[in-house]
Amino acid sequence: MLQRESSFAKEALRYGLIVLVLGFIVFPIAWMIITSFKPADAIMVSPPRFLFTPTLENYVHAIYDKNFLFYIKNTLFISVASTIIVVVTGSLAAYSFARYNVGDGHLLFFILSTKMFPAIAVILPYFLIFREVGKTGIGSFLGIGLDRPGALIISYTVFNLPFAIWLLVSFFQDIPRELEHSARLDGLSRLKVLAKVVCPLAAPGIAVTGVFTLIFSWNEFLFAYILTRKAASTVTVGVESFFTLQGILWGPVAAAATISVLPMLVFVLAMQRYMVRGLTFGAVRG
Amino acid sequence: MSQSLSVPASQERGAASPTAMSDRWFSILLIVPAMLVILVFALLPLAYALDVSFRFADLTRGRIGDFVGLDNYRAVLHDRAFWSSVGVTLKFTLTAVTLEMVLGIAIAFLIHGATAGKGIIRSLMILPLATSAAVTGLFWRYLYDTQFGLINHFLGLVGLPEPNWLGDYTIALWSVILFDVWQWTPFVALIALAGLQALPKEPFEAAELDGASTFRVLRTLTFPMLKPVLFLVLVLRTIDSVRLYDAVAVLTRGGPGTVTETMTFYLYRTGLKLFRMDYASTMAIFFLYAMLVASLFALRPLLTQFSSRASEG
Repeated sequence: MLQRESSFAKEALRYGLIVLVLGFIVFPIAWMIITSFKPADAIMVSPPRFLFTPTLENYVHAIYDKNFLFYIKNTLFISVASTIIVVVTGSLAAYSFARYNVGDGHLLFFILSTKMFPAIAVILPYFLIFREVGKTGIGSFLGIGLDRPGALIISYTVFNLPFAIWLLVSFFQDIPRELEHSARLDGLSRLKVLAKVVCPLAAPGIAVTGVFTLIFSWNEFLFAYILTRKAASTVTVGVESFFTLQGILWGPVAAAATISVLPMLVFVLAMQRYMVRGLTFGAVRG
Repeated sequence: MSQSLSVPASQERGAASPTAMSDRWFSILLIVPAMLVILVFALLPLAYALDVSFRFADLTRGRIGDFVGLDNYRAVLHDRAFWSSVGVTLKFTLTAVTLEMVLGIAIAFLIHGATAGKGIIRSLMILPLATSAAVTGLFWRYLYDTQFGLINHFLGLVGLPEPNWLGDYTIALWSVILFDVWQWTPFVALIALAGLQALPKEPFEAAELDGASTFRVLRTLTFPMLKPVLFLVLVLRTIDSVRLYDAVAVLTRGGPGTVTETMTFYLYRTGLKLFRMDYASTMAIFFLYAMLVASLFALRPLLTQFSSRASEG
């Protein structure tokens, strides 16, 4: 803060501490990736082995024996479907909140309070309702019910929508109104203004919100764990299938975990400029 | 905020299409899809949970049963396991959030003062936030392993005791806390750092000219100006911690005994392992009520403050 002359020793201390902190933060993830390339005889050993010949056998085991790509496919379908619904309905609502201030702030806050719901509070009714709906013809036609993807798509949509609306409102507020005014004066209808003027300007914000929603859905565990068994399970639940009677297969677990975490790491790195903003519902613009 | 986009009537008549509607109708139409989703899929299930909380519902004995008034509420309030789970949750929240705030703020200052490499430091800090607690948490069990775990290996190397991280009654909750601190301290640090970097420079330059001590600058300038951001992080972290489930589910499953059984986990066990949907729903209603009160009194004023500042700026 203060622009004082700082000695070399002070700087060295600072960077030493930073390296220590980063080591603590990065290490568990790094060790997970390292373990995923270890041969079986280098994993369950004491003391832990740091030098070994890398192998892909854990990935082969995870993908072929445990069919892990099946969970990836489920997760991809469920998170993308839910993200699309969230982004479309969320953008419309957020634009309305940002420009027309519907509900005078109260409605917007009501929406946020649904985000504060503990998921566990709605999980029991979801479980009971989806169990019943799943037995009906409509349920099986729409893929809604226990262990069907629709159940998770609905859950993730409901739980991400409030967050998405808040974040999107902050992005829409950044767009200057003057452009919309002049487009209106040029004779465009409100809907056309939204589609042709506002949306292109808001595209980066909409994309950021979409990626956040995708990450949250991808990483979600509680709903996936309780509402699915096998057919519609996602990666977070899939990793649990590596528990066996002999114990946990750490090599294949590490491989599966790496496969499921990697895409999100890439996304997050690409989005890092917006992380702070996203994580605070758009409040801190970072 | 309140200024609308309507065009003066005289111009609108010539310009807009025959389907022209008022601002009001247009704005309401836009929120209909989102509101429908929320009302149908969030509020209806809650109403259902409320209904179940007034009934007898032991799923091992069939369907949702008769109306029993406040019996479930009485039973839950007298349930010692429920209160013990509340205790675990509070202990976890208090310790984890305090540690995360203190460490996070310290790390933010550390990085803020760095002259180079901030970009790469930030990228590395974000990583835990990208991972799912259910996946990395599971892997932490390997790190905590008493036989093959790396943590005890390192402790052994420097001659420290090697605890049974997840199996020891007195340590297990701390192990869950340590994992949570690993995942969420970067979150606090990132936001505090963003707050630090957004501070205006002038007051600090003036303070330096006046020869104010570092401590005095922190106490009278930095912290007061950072307060809203820090308070927001505190509230967000607290709300999240109270709902802790994933880490417990993959690290300890509430054990050993029930020393790491948080409210969420006990609720899950009651409803979906013991199939007492009535008790579980009652707990859900208590829980929900507490969260609503918390967000009404803590979160709302904060976010309103931020959004009004943003729309002014």
